[in-house]
Amino acid sequence: MDTKGKVKDVVVKLLKVRPEELKEGQTLEQSLGVDSTEMVEVCIALQKEFGVQIGEKEVTKYQTLDQIAGVINQKKG
Amino acid sequence: MEKIAITGIGIVAPSGMDKKVFWANIKAGRSEIKVIDRYDAQLYPSHIGGQIHQLDAYSHISSRLLQKIDPFSHMALIASEMALKDAGIDLTKENLNHIGIFMGNALGGWLYGETELRDLYLEGREGVSPYMASAWFPAAPQGQVSIYYGIKGYSKTVVSDRASSLMAIGHGAKILAKNKLDFILAGGMEAPLSPYGLLCCNTNGDLSTDNEHPESAYKPFDKDRAGFVVGEGAGIMIFEPQERVDARGRKPYGYIAGYGTTCDGVDRIKANPDGKELARAIRMALDDAGYKPQDIDYISLDGAATLEGDVSEVAAIKEVFGGRAAHLPVSAPKTMFGNLLGASGAVDIIVTLLAMEHGLIPPTLNLKNIDSRCAGMDYVVDKARPAEIKKALVISRGRAGINAVVALEKQ
Repeated sequence: MDTKGKVKDVVVKLLKVRPEELKEGQTLEQSLGVDSTEMVEVCIALQKEFGVQIGEKEVTKYQTLDQIAGVINQKKG
Repeated sequence: MEKIAITGIGIVAPSGMDKKVFWANIKAGRSEIKVIDRYDAQLYPSHIGGQIHQLDAYSHISSRLLQKIDPFSHMALIASEMALKDAGIDLTKENLNHIGIFMGNALGGWLYGETELRDLYLEGREGVSPYMASAWFPAAPQGQVSIYYGIKGYSKTVVSDRASSLMAIGHGAKILAKNKLDFILAGGMEAPLSPYGLLCCNTNGDLSTDNEHPESAYKPFDKDRAGFVVGEGAGIMIFEPQERVDARGRKPYGYIAGYGTTCDGVDRIKANPDGKELARAIRMALDDAGYKPQDIDYISLDGAATLEGDVSEVAAIKEVFGGRAAHLPVSAPKTMFGNLLGASGAVDIIVTLLAMEHGLIPPTLNLKNIDSRCAGMDYVVDKARPAEIKKALVISRGRAGINAVVALEKQ
C-alpha cells in the first residue's frame, strides 16, 4: 500500500469512519469535520505507523490526504 | 417556590432501560443486584452491584464519539434523548440559548481515566488519549449533552457525593422558577463499577460484603445491615414552567414543589446520628412547598444501610412527623437496583413519579428484622403497596452529612 493509502487507513481506523467519507481533494476538516483534538490523535498514530516525528504544525486538519502523504514521504526521504 | 412541572423521563438503570421495563421490574419488587461479571472482581471485598448490560442496544451515539467519552456520559446522552422524546420536545423549534442542563455525579468517569492512566505508565505520555482531558471530569456529561444538542443556556454540574443529582435537581428547579430559562434537563449519572472506581468505593467501608447473597445484601434499617451495594445508571428529566406546559398542551408527571438542603458539619464520613440537620432540611423542603407534615403521603428514603445513616434518617423523620411517622409509608426502592451514588436522587425522583402515576408504593427489599433504633415507621417491604400519593418527599444524602430533600406533587 502506498503512503496515501496507509494514511487513509490510519484515519479511518482511528476515527471509526467509513473510507468513502474521506473525499478526494478535500481536507480532513472538510470531509470529516475533524477537530483539533482528533488531529492530535491522528498525528500520534501517523508517527507510530511511519516511524517519523511529526510536528503539530506540519500535519493539520486543513490538509488533504495527498498533502499529508507528501509531508510523510518527504520525512522518510 | 413556584412549582416546576416534570414532563419527560429518561431512565438508564439496572432495572430497565426505559420507563416501562423499569417500572415493571420495580413494581414486581425484583432485585437486579448480581455478582459483577464484566471483569474478575472476586478479590474486591464487595464485588456485587447493579449492572447495565444492554447499553449499546439503546444507544444513538456514533462509534467515533463513543471512543472519546466515558460510559457515564454515554448513559447521560441516552437518558437525555429518552427524556426529550418522552416530553415531546423538538429542539429545532426551541431557542437553544434558553435551555439549561443541571446534572450531578459523585465520581466522574473512572473507566476512561483509569484506562488512560494505565497507558501512561505502559506507553508514556504519547499513549494517553488527548480526550482524557475532557472525558473523565464530573462536568463531562453536561458538556457532552450540551454539544450533542447545541444547548447553550445557563447550566451547572453539582458534585456532592451521593446527594449530587438531587441537589442539581433542586438547584435547577430554583433557577427555572426565576424565569431564567425556557426549560431544563435535570438529573444525574454514575458509572462506579469500573475496576478502579469499584476499588475506591470499597475503600470507604460502607459497602456490603455479603457477596454470597447479592440479592439480599442491601438491607437498610435492618439489624443485620452491612452497608449498601453500588449500581450504575442515569436518570434525566425535563423540567418546565407551568405556563409553557399549558401552552404545549402536555400533561406533566408531577411537580417539584420544594427543596431543602443542609450539612451536618460533624464528621468527614459519617452522618450525625441525631438527624437534626436532616430534619431541618425536611422542614425547609416542606416550607418551600407550602406543605404541612400531615400533607405528605410517602417518603422515598436515602437508606444508606450504615448505622449512623439509618438511625439519623429515622430520627429526622420522627422529629418532623411526630406520631404520624408510624403511619406514613416509607421505602428505599434502590435496594432493588443498587445505590447509584450521585445519580441516586434523580432515579428516586423518577421512581416516586411513577409510583404516583400508578398508585403503588415500591418496596424496600430485604428488611426482615428491623433494628430497634429504626422501629416505629411504616416501612413498605417486599411487595408494592397500593396507595394514592399526592405529595411526597425524596431524601438523598452524601458522606460527611450532606442532606438534600425534594418535595414532589402529583399532577
